[in-house]
Formats: sequence, C-alpha cells, structure tokens
Amino acid sequence: MMHRLACLALALLAAAVVTPVAAQDAYPNRPITMIVPFPPGGVADLTARPIATAMEKVLKSPVGVVNKQGAAGAVGMQSVAVAKPDGYTLLLALSSISIIPEADRLFNRPPAFTVDQFAPIALISADPTVLVVPADKPWKTAKEFIEDAKKRPGQISYSSSGIYGTLHMAMELLSQAADIKLRHVPHSGGGPALTAVLGGHVDALASGPSVVLPHIKGGKLRALAGWGDKRIAALPDVPTFKELGYPDAEFYIWAGLFAPKGTPEPVLAKLRATVREAVNDPEFKSAMDKLETPVTFKQGEEFQRFFDADAKRLAEGVRRVGRVEAK
Amino acid sequence: MFEVIQNLGLGFSVALSPAVLFYAFVGCVIGTLVGVLPGVGPLAGISLLLPATFGMDATRAVVMLAGIYYGAMYGGSTTSILMRIPGEAASVMTCIDGYAMARKGRAGAALAIAGVGSYVAGTASVVGLMVMAPPLAAIALRFGPPEQLALLLLGLLVLAYMSSGSMLKALAMAALGLLLGTIGIDQMTGYMRFAYGVVELGDGLGVVPVAVGLFGVAEILATAGAPTPPAVVKPRLRELLPSRREWRDSAWPIARGSVLGFLIGILPGSAHIIASFVSYAVEKRLSRRPQEFGHGAVAGVAGPESANNAATSGAFVPMLALGVPSGPIPVVMLAALMVHGVAPGPLLIQNQPALFWGFIASMYVGNVMLLILNLPLVGVFVNILRVPYPYLYPAILVFSILGVYAVNSSVVDVWIMLIMGVLGYVLRKLDFETAPIVLGVVLAPLIELSLRQSLAMSDGRYSIFLEHKIAALLLAVGLVLVLLNMYTFARRGLDWRARIALAEKGEGS
Repeated sequence: MMHRLACLALALLAAAVVTPVAAQDAYPNRPITMIVPFPPGGVADLTARPIATAMEKVLKSPVGVVNKQGAAGAVGMQSVAVAKPDGYTLLLALSSISIIPEADRLFNRPPAFTVDQFAPIALISADPTVLVVPADKPWKTAKEFIEDAKKRPGQISYSSSGIYGTLHMAMELLSQAADIKLRHVPHSGGGPALTAVLGGHVDALASGPSVVLPHIKGGKLRALAGWGDKRIAALPDVPTFKELGYPDAEFYIWAGLFAPKGTPEPVLAKLRATVREAVNDPEFKSAMDKLETPVTFKQGEEFQRFFDADAKRLAEGVRRVGRVEAK
Repeated sequence: MFEVIQNLGLGFSVALSPAVLFYAFVGCVIGTLVGVLPGVGPLAGISLLLPATFGMDATRAVVMLAGIYYGAMYGGSTTSILMRIPGEAASVMTCIDGYAMARKGRAGAALAIAGVGSYVAGTASVVGLMVMAPPLAAIALRFGPPEQLALLLLGLLVLAYMSSGSMLKALAMAALGLLLGTIGIDQMTGYMRFAYGVVELGDGLGVVPVAVGLFGVAEILATAGAPTPPAVVKPRLRELLPSRREWRDSAWPIARGSVLGFLIGILPGSAHIIASFVSYAVEKRLSRRPQEFGHGAVAGVAGPESANNAATSGAFVPMLALGVPSGPIPVVMLAALMVHGVAPGPLLIQNQPALFWGFIASMYVGNVMLLILNLPLVGVFVNILRVPYPYLYPAILVFSILGVYAVNSSVVDVWIMLIMGVLGYVLRKLDFETAPIVLGVVLAPLIELSLRQSLAMSDGRYSIFLEHKIAALLLAVGLVLVLLNMYTFARRGLDWRARIALAEKGEGS
C-alpha cells in the first residue's frame, strides 16, 4: 500500500516537474481561445474569425473565437486581463481598449482593467475614420464645414456610436485640433448613428469607411475628409485632415491581438511570428478585402509605439471631454 | 406591376434552387427550435450561427438567417401556450391567453391559430416588403428621436389596456418595469447606474432573462407551491382543431396584427416584441368581450402571434432598401452580407437583384414550409402536456437556465432570471400581473434615449416635439386618447376592469 502511494506521489511529482517544460516546448498543445469582447457581426468579430482560421493553419492547432460581450467590451477585456498568462487565452480588441479604463478613471470607478494588463502581440488592421455629411447639406469641403462650425459654435450636430465610443472620440479629436465646438448626439451603436445621419437628424458622422462607402456611392452621403495619415484607398479624392493642416486629428479604428501581461516571451514570439504569417494568408486577405478593410500589420516595438501613442491621444481626448454634467 | 412579376420570377428561380431551398429549410427548422427553447431567442440563434454562414454565398446566408428570425416567431408560441413559458420575448403576451386556453383543453386550437396567424401575417407582410420597401424605408428614415419618443409614449398608453384586473396594479407593475429598465450605463453620459460594481449590469437587464424569469420560473415555482398539482390535460384528437367560432374570432385579429406588426416592424427598436404588446392591447380594446381577455380569448393569441411575425418582415424594409438596421437582429444580418462583400446600402436592390428577389421569394417559400412543419407538430407538442409535472418542470427549468446562459455566456443573466422568477412568484401570489414589467423593461431604455437624444438635438428646447410634425401629430393622438378615456371614466365611474377586480376581491375574501 505504502509502496503504491509512494509510486503515485513520485509520478505526480514527476508530472509536475516535467509538464511545464514540455508544454512550453510544444506550445500550443491544446486549443487557443480568442476572446472577442463584442457581439458576432461587429468589426472585431469579423476580423477575429478569418485571422483565427489563418492562425490555425500556421499553428496546426485549433484557435476558437468566443464572443464575450457586454458593457461596450469591458466584460470580455476584463476576462482576458485576469486570465492565466499562458498563451491560451488571447484578446482581439479595438481602439476602445484604451478608452474604457480612462472613462472609468473619469468617474472615479475602480477600472475594470488597465491597458498595462495586456501584452500587445500584433496590430491587424487600422482603418482611419472618415467625416461624412448628408448629401443635401451645404458643406462641400472640410474647410467649409470647419469654418461654419467656427461661426456657429455648438450648432452643428453629429451622431456617434455612444459616449466615449470610438466614433465620438474621432470627432472630439477633430474638435480639439480645429478648435471648434460641435453638438454631440450619442446613439446606441454604429448602425443607429449611421441611420441618424442618413435621415438628416444630425449633420455629420465620423465613421469607418466600409460602412459608409455604399451610401457615398449611392449619393446619400458626402465624404469631406479622413483622419488617417494617408488617403483612404477607396476614396482617393477625399483629403486627410493632416493635409488640411490639422495633424492632431489622427484617429484609427484599429483591431489588434493581445495576450494577458506575463505571458512568457517565447510564447509571445511564437504568436507574433504566427500572426505575421497569417496576415499574408490569401484567404484572410480576401476576407478583409470583402470588408473593405485594409490590413495594417505592426508587431513588437512598432505596435507598442503605435498603441502607446494612440492610448495617449485617446486618454487626453477622454479627459478633454470630461464628465458630461447636467446643464 | 409586370416588372414585379418578372422580378419575382427571378426570385423564385433563385429560391427554388435546391441549395437555397435547403438553407431556407435549415433556417426554418433552427428558428422553430430556438423559438421553442425558452431563453434562446432569434437574436441568440442568429448570432451563434452567423459564423457558420461565412462559408456560404451571400444569398444562402441571408436566406438561412432570415429563416431563423421568422421561424422563431412560429416556435415561440409553443411553450407560451402549453406551459406559460415564453419561448422568446415576443411571445410574452401569448402566455396569458394561450395558456388559459390550454388549461381549458384548447391547447391544440391555440397552437393551430398561432401557426395559421403567423403564416398569414408572414406572407402578407412579405407582399408589403416586396411592393413598398423603398417608399416605406424613406418614411422610416424620417423617424428621428423626437418621432420615436412620441411613438413610444403612445406605446406606453397601451399599458392601460393590458391588465385584466386592477388598473392601479398594472400601472404599478409598468412603473417597476420602467425603473428596472434604467439599470446600466447611462448612454448619454457614461455613468453606471445601479450596477454596484457588476460590470455585466452595464448593459442593463436583458429582456430575455426578465421574461423567462417572470413567466417561466415563476410559473414553475407557483406550480410547485400549489397544494395539489394541476390536473394533467389529456388532449384528444378532435380538440386539436379550432372550432368555427374560434376561427371567426381570430380572422380580424390576424389581419390587424399583420398590418400593425409590419408597420411597427419598420421602425427602430425591438419591434417584434413591441408589436406583440400593441396588438394585444388593440384587440382587447376592439373586442366586444374584453372581459374574456386573460381567461382564454382566442384573439389574444391570434393578434400578437401574427403581429410578431409581420414585424420580422417589416424589420427587413430599412435593411434591404437602405442598408441600415432597424434593430439588433438586422445588424447581425447586415454583417452577414458584408462578410460576403455585398455592400448593404441604397443600391442593394439595384445591384443585387438576384439576392433581393431571391430573399423575398424564399420568405414566401419559408412561410409555407413553416406552416407545413408546425401544424403537424401541434399534435406532437400538445402531448408534452401528458408528461407529469414532476418530470416536465425540472426539465424546463434546466432548459431555461441553459438557454439564458447560452445567449451571452453570462452567469449574471442566469441570476437575473432566477431573481425575476422569485419576484414573479411573489407578485403572482399578490395578484399582480407581470406582463407590464416586461414591456417596461423593453421600453424604458428606448424612451429615455430618444427623449435625451431629441433634447441633445435641440440644445435642450422641448419645442422640438412640436416643430417635428410627425412627432406633434402622434403626441396629439396620444392626448386625445387620454382625454377620451378620462371622459368615459368620469361618466361611467367603474369600468368593467374595476368591476372584475371587485368581484375577484369578493371571491377571495
């Protein structure tokens, strides 16, 4: 009896010693879960699924996408922030990852998570927003729009996906850069915000290009300028705010892959290499083409710099907006 | 007209191709299933299956997803009628009179009426979608926040007709529902309200856990607490079919429900849920025997079940004609289109005629399939009533918990459902009706958001509601309704509701 117990203990001990080494050698040796903190069908989800499929091919190991939505993404992001940093739980996040903790800070709430709880793996796409107005509004150029806004502070209205949401922050960065004051009418998501500008209930909207392109082509909306550092490929005639002399009006709806902080460096390196290969997968490319979302790949130091600069801009933006107090 | 027929010919050639037919069938079957299972509704079903459509072509994908949406409206009535457990949120009203009918041994009739009503409404509203989509979509776009608020306030007036007992109690429940609806992130300022540090409460109380809790779980608790278990109703074959009188009583409610549901469906919000509430109230108001409502009025099944079905077609109007969503379900379906490189927008009908007309034709086909699928199932489903309660109810509780959890993988939702179940049980014991709570939870966030958006648009001036003509008109209609009611109330003193309440009180003491 004692002999058997001793054997068992020895076996367990051996397993305990051996397993971590073996696991690290053979990462990944079980399915990886990619958390998408938004509902199916959103930008994050539509980016996550093809990249997960492409990563599967490279890793020859399953990568499953799990939608863990709630509270504008905070629920899913928080779950990854506190997940075991073993490389088996990843997060596909959008720009809002930098906004949520800052908004929590604004309201003196204990933040659901902080950005330094994540280790960036790679940036997958970065789509600059574009300023659109209903086609029957008088402004033909961004210059006219800004001049009019200066004449009538607080009179020109815009819709957004929600307060402190990405589409709100884009407009806010423009307002700060051009020193204008616009009237914000938050909506409950990008879809309703688009409906509001199409119906003429608001005067303008900052939006990702893919969703407004059909309406621009259909003659319902007019694009005035973009927030990127380059013009949008599908809208070659639309200038950037940078060209127009507002270099601080730079904003992207980006999607990036993160792991929890503390994930071992070899695992992160493997993941970076995997994503680098995955973004060149022809099927992934064609999936992104259909969404009219260009792939913008950055990793390691480069992504970290982009992420830090973006987070800083957004944090400042949130602080500038401040709390919306009752008038 | 000739053009429509020609286009429809194209549509049917797409819809009747074996592959599209197959996916329409799959969608309808899955839809019926998610409708029947408590907790899992069409939104969850469509969201969960969206990734599975990525490998198909765009037409097959939307045909299947649409099948899930309207299929769920067929299935949703089943558990509502048989067990007073809403299969999905739009079937809450069906619980009341449908279950009362089942207790009288008319379960088969109620299910058949719900199925036929769904079919008529589904088909009629597809005609509406086919013929009038572009002009109706243009009208829908004119509904901005002020118009929406006016319409929602009109919807609140509907509450007054929802109770079969005390008006005071119904209004108290509606107020409770509206209060519960304020939980979550304040959409205009970003404040967390009544969340107590629970991040999941940021989105507020979901209508699914609330409805399943208040009706399903409360019903199970009430049955468990009854001194004698309810008698098992053994359905006989000849009772499966509705009687001549039941057909007559449902004809107009089905027609009205179809029109009403379609029109409400076009407007933003969770239209299929609201449409069923409004239809119930309208039927009760127009009925010559309003006292029967709540005690097995067939119109209370026919109207709402038709309305929620017609609303699904209505919801496709802005989606197909303009490429803008009218609610959470069209959002997911638009994504399904975008994944396949089909840009949803004003040019969709023009650029993708095969897709649009194939979609329309598939809805005609799908509704026929659902009717054929569901009518024979009536005979199968009513046999669930033969299962003794000690086996049936625990099984349903398990399904409810699984269903509610599956929607968001959220344990918080399960807790909400259980708490609502206990609350619903207590309220039932105190003779409160719980349907107004569900309506309150659905309407509160919409009313609040549209009011504050309107005021944001006008920089705080309330005159915006008068400047917008549609809004002003709707508010005037609401005012007239209130005045009319006050007039009758002042003249008659007690109306039939109060009399019933008094009579029930007399019995109880």
